[in-house]
Amino acid sequence: MDWRLITDDNVTASFGLSADETLAERVGANLSIPTLRLYTYRSHCALVGRFQNVGNEVRVDYCKSHNIPINRRPTGGGAILMGADQLGVALTIPGRADDTLRLNAQGDAYSHARELMSMFSEGLVRGLNQLGVQASFRRKNDIEVDGKKIIGLGIHRARSNGLLFHASLLVDLDVELMLHVLNTPFEKISDKEISTVAGRITTVRRETKSGIMLDEVRQTIADSYASSLDVKLVADTFNSDELQAISALEREKYLSDDWIYQTSEVADTFGSSKIKTPAGLLDVRVTLAGNIIKAAFIGGDFFASENAVADLEASLRWHTSQADKVAATLQKIYQRRQNEFNGVPLEVLIEAVNKAIARARLAESQARADPYGCYVNPGGQYA
Amino acid sequence: MTDKIDLQDELTIPADRFYDREHHMWVTVNSTQRQARVGMDALGLSALGDLAYVTLKNVGAVIQRGESFGTLEAAKMTGDLIAPISGTILARNEAVIKNPSLVNLSPYDDGWLVIIQPIDWKKESAQLVSGNALSAWIESEMKRYRGQGWID
Repeated sequence: MDWRLITDDNVTASFGLSADETLAERVGANLSIPTLRLYTYRSHCALVGRFQNVGNEVRVDYCKSHNIPINRRPTGGGAILMGADQLGVALTIPGRADDTLRLNAQGDAYSHARELMSMFSEGLVRGLNQLGVQASFRRKNDIEVDGKKIIGLGIHRARSNGLLFHASLLVDLDVELMLHVLNTPFEKISDKEISTVAGRITTVRRETKSGIMLDEVRQTIADSYASSLDVKLVADTFNSDELQAISALEREKYLSDDWIYQTSEVADTFGSSKIKTPAGLLDVRVTLAGNIIKAAFIGGDFFASENAVADLEASLRWHTSQADKVAATLQKIYQRRQNEFNGVPLEVLIEAVNKAIARARLAESQARADPYGCYVNPGGQYA
Repeated sequence: MTDKIDLQDELTIPADRFYDREHHMWVTVNSTQRQARVGMDALGLSALGDLAYVTLKNVGAVIQRGESFGTLEAAKMTGDLIAPISGTILARNEAVIKNPSLVNLSPYDDGWLVIIQPIDWKKESAQLVSGNALSAWIESEMKRYRGQGWID
């Protein structure tokens, strides 16, 4: 089966997002054929997740004074910085039973989408593996290299049932700029803060220890998608009907402050806890969106593998804050990485995380609600 | 027939209501059939995971079966809440908008979503699963969910 491959660069935030949503809508309605779009945004723009509050996530004044557009994705997750070194991936398919997809899909609205999350990550994982990056899919929604995030993922189901699989692949990242653009708990941005954030993420260039060009990464990803989906990707561009629809949606939605600056009624709350352990001080900070853990920071002066800590934090992101389920998740990570925590007892870690969560739930914590970005966890001044 | 069907662990399907096959929404209707309460069922939620955000259309909005009456985000999947019946929204659950976890914690009680005044309950309820047809539907759904690895 032939699918389309569209590559475009230097796009505006409003066009880029409008094009992705338009394609999902049209593919779902059989007006366009399934399309893989691999593209880059004009450096730089800040994109928040579907339901986030811009003021919590982005330094609006900094963006305005540096001509960095802010926009809102149709897909969920955290705020991201996009530009010439971050490859945008948008795969659009009809979101229903379709033999050509070779899926065990029966039209279910939700399980089908989650099945696709794993399936469509395969093209990215294989592509990165071919480049020498040992990436793997984390069950929920990230692709990581030994606990460090390299790709963020999201899915949006359009009203036509078309599915948009969104990913942002870090070929490279200016961490300092990201810390200026995205709201972080750091009062100042010094080498220490940059190093802390840089330790939780990775990029293709860092992993390959090379200056690999984005085009090479893009071609590899396109080839691996063709192989993993068993489809032929035919290079194409948007047709005139699509461009017209993209333009209309851009005017109506992605250039509208009503869309970009909408607010959610789910409050962000922050909590922290510190516990002394035989291995050193354990310092845990969490941000909740309602009862979901939006971000977690696990620090202190104990010695542990950076990858293991990043893995712990990633496991808690977008996780329920129910104490027993938090404990079960932490236990699983410990079973896999016990030797990397150097004597920090599991039960103390569970106690510290659940204590921070309990404190976040207290109403008085709300005033200290701690924003975050897709790759940034709370830390710094609020301990 | 029993009052509910226990599937496993926290998965339960009460037998006193109607279910949308595709979107895993439940509906209960009052004795006059002028008020129908709508929520998500436990099987749909087990596949979706923990809800982070929910929006619901305003009271007074007229919705059609198969169309959106709100939006949701769970585990970074966003999408629409699809109405199992047509009608006018009489009430929406403000508590779940502020705390979407209520839907996961109490899908059939505190986690309800909207109350609708049905336009044609008799016709549309026939398109939902209920009563004696529930067992066979649930059995096939459980098999499918197990096959996809969403439940054990």
